[in-house]
Amino acid sequence: MMRRPLVFGLCLFWALVTLFPLYWTLVTSLKPPTAVNGGPTYLPFIDFVPTLQAYRDAFSGIRGDFIAPFVNSSLISITATALAVLFGTMAAYALVRFEFRVRLLSGLIFAAVAIGGFVLFNEALGYSRAEAMGLAFAVSLPACLLANRLPLPGPVLGNNDVLFWFVSQRMFPPIVTAFALFLLYSEIGREGFKLLDSFLGMVLCYTAFSIPIVVWLMRDFLAALPVEIEEAALVDDVPRIRIFFEIVLPMARPGLIATSLITLAFIWNEFLFALLLTTSEWQTLPILLSGQNSYRGDEWWAISVAALFGIAPMMVVAMLLAKLMRSGLTLGGIR
Amino acid sequence: MADVRLQGVSKAFDEVTVIPALDLEIADTEFVVLVGPSGCGKTTTLRMIAGLEAASGGTITIGARDVTELRPGLRNCAMVFQNYALYPHMTVADNIGYGMKVRRMPKAEIEARIAEAARILGLEPYLQRRPKQLSGGQRQRVAIGRAIVRQPDVFLFDEPLSNLDAKLRIEMRTEIKSLHRRLNSTMVYVTHDQVEAMTMADRVVVMNEGRIEQAADPITLYERPANTFVAAFIGAPSMNFVPAQVTAKGEGLALRLEDGSELAIPPERWERYGLYKDRAVTFGIRPEHNAGGDTGAAVIRMTARTIEPLGPHTLIIGEAAGRGYTAQVDSHFPAAPDEMVPISLDMSKMHIFDPETGSCI
Repeated sequence: MMRRPLVFGLCLFWALVTLFPLYWTLVTSLKPPTAVNGGPTYLPFIDFVPTLQAYRDAFSGIRGDFIAPFVNSSLISITATALAVLFGTMAAYALVRFEFRVRLLSGLIFAAVAIGGFVLFNEALGYSRAEAMGLAFAVSLPACLLANRLPLPGPVLGNNDVLFWFVSQRMFPPIVTAFALFLLYSEIGREGFKLLDSFLGMVLCYTAFSIPIVVWLMRDFLAALPVEIEEAALVDDVPRIRIFFEIVLPMARPGLIATSLITLAFIWNEFLFALLLTTSEWQTLPILLSGQNSYRGDEWWAISVAALFGIAPMMVVAMLLAKLMRSGLTLGGIR
Repeated sequence: MADVRLQGVSKAFDEVTVIPALDLEIADTEFVVLVGPSGCGKTTTLRMIAGLEAASGGTITIGARDVTELRPGLRNCAMVFQNYALYPHMTVADNIGYGMKVRRMPKAEIEARIAEAARILGLEPYLQRRPKQLSGGQRQRVAIGRAIVRQPDVFLFDEPLSNLDAKLRIEMRTEIKSLHRRLNSTMVYVTHDQVEAMTMADRVVVMNEGRIEQAADPITLYERPANTFVAAFIGAPSMNFVPAQVTAKGEGLALRLEDGSELAIPPERWERYGLYKDRAVTFGIRPEHNAGGDTGAAVIRMTARTIEPLGPHTLIIGEAAGRGYTAQVDSHFPAAPDEMVPISLDMSKMHIFDPETGSCI
């Protein structure tokens, strides 16, 4: 009997703890400089007189351009999320419904031929780095596909190993890949194809780094779908690609929405890649936010406005998608 | 419409052979039921006909076409699944019409076929509903409708009634049977329920451990089971098996049970069983070929353990000659648990089986 009020009280307390920073950011953004510097104040109209000056400053651009990074962040994160969820879900579906048998040795052959081929074409035969890379890849891919068909010795990897390989890409510290990616991008840029500080470059890297998470999440969602529904369609001569798009995806809607939300949040908030791979034109919101307190000193009212710019869109998206997800859950499978 | 032929079809998962080479011919317009305990390979066989499972060996022919290597969609089969397998996000009409839409059939034709299927199955009021808003029986009708509009060479049913409650199952049983008569098509039906198999099939194929134990029409299966497996599987309650010895009695033969009781074998069987004189056999008799009392020609005494009154008759479950034994007697036959009860056997309905191989003698 006593437990319900207790639990309710604890929940309420925790809600206050989590909501307070948001409230604090919101009221700070409405404060004039004097109200910020004169000790803590909490209630607008009582503690201090609210002003929209910080918002006016932000939109007038005296604290740096807010609009462009906001648009950049939106375009990049929406495009990369869409691509990552599409390709990641396809990969997850393949891992759930088909059996893969990859010989470890054929993977090693791929690595050896690719690296050796690059050295050979670049150092010995005098091709440029990009050409050598392309040629080495063109040789190594068929070589390893062929090798996989031969009865080679050594372990044979299955679907779970492939999944682990996907997830393992997220296990090492991102800074390791970030530097490698920077070098790769600048190398490709030297060949005349601009990837650094470009929309395409950012979308490509975020898509690539989100796919492992999407595969991992979507695999469980897809594995929970009853296979008979797809088999019924197969017997009815529905092509696999239409089964995927017209039957599997609608059934996996709650999973797709949850995964999209997680991916979108990851890309929207991502800092390290954006810091290394963009300079001016395609800078994203997190880079702008991080620059705020050094730009003109600790102007907390202005920093609060910037922080709200970063938080608000994700909150709106989260609420919309959560609503969609609930309606999707009621659709569900049929038992 | 077409016949289906399986020649030496086998299935192995990795190293485990679940179906050794299997031969089965299903005639055009025949209703064949594959029945057996779970894990006997009946569903795997059906899935190999559908193409959802690749055969490890042998050939599968539908009509004049060798379909062994064909993908499921090209075999022109329609399949109905145990859990209905409806597309949850589509209406009933879309569920039935989806395959035709994918195959780019003319819209008018699609609508005509949906309407026809809905009429046959009584689904007209539900065409715009989602599967979730339907009862189990209605869902299975939608699944059948989806199969009908395909106008397939062969209908495949994979335990379609197992998820329905008992009353609905009996209704759907007759419905599928009359559908077969109406469509006059080849149907292969998998079930683990021997009553379903007996009531629906033109021919029942009893499977066990990947092998066909016997394939025959229901009455033959019941009256002349090929072996103890079929004898035990078909009929409820199950046939009684008692070890016995064939002995000479006068100029004829008799069975001597382990408790010493002797049962005269009817003269018309003397010739058939002559070879087995003085040999151990398994004597089989169905519960319904027993009667209470000692008025018959062959009488045994059984110890009653449980009395199950079913209304039209009563089952006495207990032991006879040291083995579990069930007898079906008149509802008013006096019997009480833990009493010795005399039971008369109708020896014209007896079976004897080779105790080594289990096959019928």
